Amino acid sequence: MRKLITLGLFIIAAIAGHFLTLYLVPSVIMNATQTRLADQGLALNQWAAAPRMTPQAQTIVRPSPDLFYAICRFDLQEGAMLISAPGWDRYGSLSIFDDRTNNVFIANLDGENAGILLYHPTRPSKEEGRSYIRQDEDVLAFSGEGLALIRRVAPDVEQHSASVELIDDSVCSPVNWAP
Amino acid sequence: MKSILLWFIFSILGLAIGAISALFMAGLLFVGPKLGGTLIIDDWASDWSIGSETANPYVRARVARHGLLALRKEEAVYFTKATDQSGEPLREACTYRVEGSSLPATWWSITLYDAQSRLPMNTDSRLSFDKTQAEFAFGGDAAWLFDVRASAIADDSLPWVSSRAAGEFDLMLRLYRPTADFLDDPVSVLDPPQIIRLACDGEEK
Repeated sequence: MRKLITLGLFIIAAIAGHFLTLYLVPSVIMNATQTRLADQGLALNQWAAAPRMTPQAQTIVRPSPDLFYAICRFDLQEGAMLISAPGWDRYGSLSIFDDRTNNVFIANLDGENAGILLYHPTRPSKEEGRSYIRQDEDVLAFSGEGLALIRRVAPDVEQHSASVELIDDSVCSPVNWAP
Repeated sequence: MKSILLWFIFSILGLAIGAISALFMAGLLFVGPKLGGTLIIDDWASDWSIGSETANPYVRARVARHGLLALRKEEAVYFTKATDQSGEPLREACTYRVEGSSLPATWWSITLYDAQSRLPMNTDSRLSFDKTQAEFAFGGDAAWLFDVRASAIADDSLPWVSSRAAGEFDLMLRLYRPTADFLDDPVSVLDPPQIIRLACDGEEK
């Protein structure tokens, strides 16, 4: 009887450990990424432009030398977040990843601005939040930490510099409206 | 008391083995089985699970590790090829011609990476070829070509990508915002670029 219980406990623990690990892997990876970005000095709720990718400046594997990247790490603990970026006359995108690495939002930046209000599902209501933003911006229920990413085709120094300047017109910050 | 200690030890052992088997099955530990699709078109290989909405927890775990911040397939698709048309590895000592035609995407680029998946450490500023260059050089992207070689030549009229300091390398094709028909049937729709070896050091052209 004791052997059966031991075997049963072992099997149940193995199954639990197996699926718990699979469930936790994305969160652990995203958490490690957030920590690494914070350690590199990336402030919360603020866009930061990556330097132009060259052989001498590369910090990640398989960087795309044709693209401009900007990243914002954000946390909805202060309430709703407005994330937006101005359009670009070539290929571009604004994307958002949640704390389990899911790509929960993506919008084109080719010739048009894009933005979204990220909204904690429990405070206040989604409908109330919608009234604070323009009709052409979208709303998404979101909680916890995330990463926003801007990509733009910018294959030369001039276009990369122009993309960097657009960061001043991009938003990644908590929305403070009247209580 | 002895039984409780035994059960505790076996429970911890079970948890550990369960965790290790999960990491192995997801391809995160040792080589492991690669669950999820690899799409190969004329030796251009793509991890088709990256950017997919999938409920498979093994694929999800692997993609979180290897495709972090990768875009959905509707936004970007990536292919890699490390051999020429005769199946030989691409290497710095050889010159290649890459020929292609219109690709099913809003914008595309082909970038050279060394065996460590890094841009080659040279200062030639010839890291990639893209749709914009194809349109500039050939008046459109219906048919285009460029060379891959380790140094510039006197006749610089043809676009080229530098393999200097790359050693053995591969080319990565990125398709940004691919067309819907390509995503539905990539094998039929994609006419992938051809990589033709022209000559190698010590060989006649």
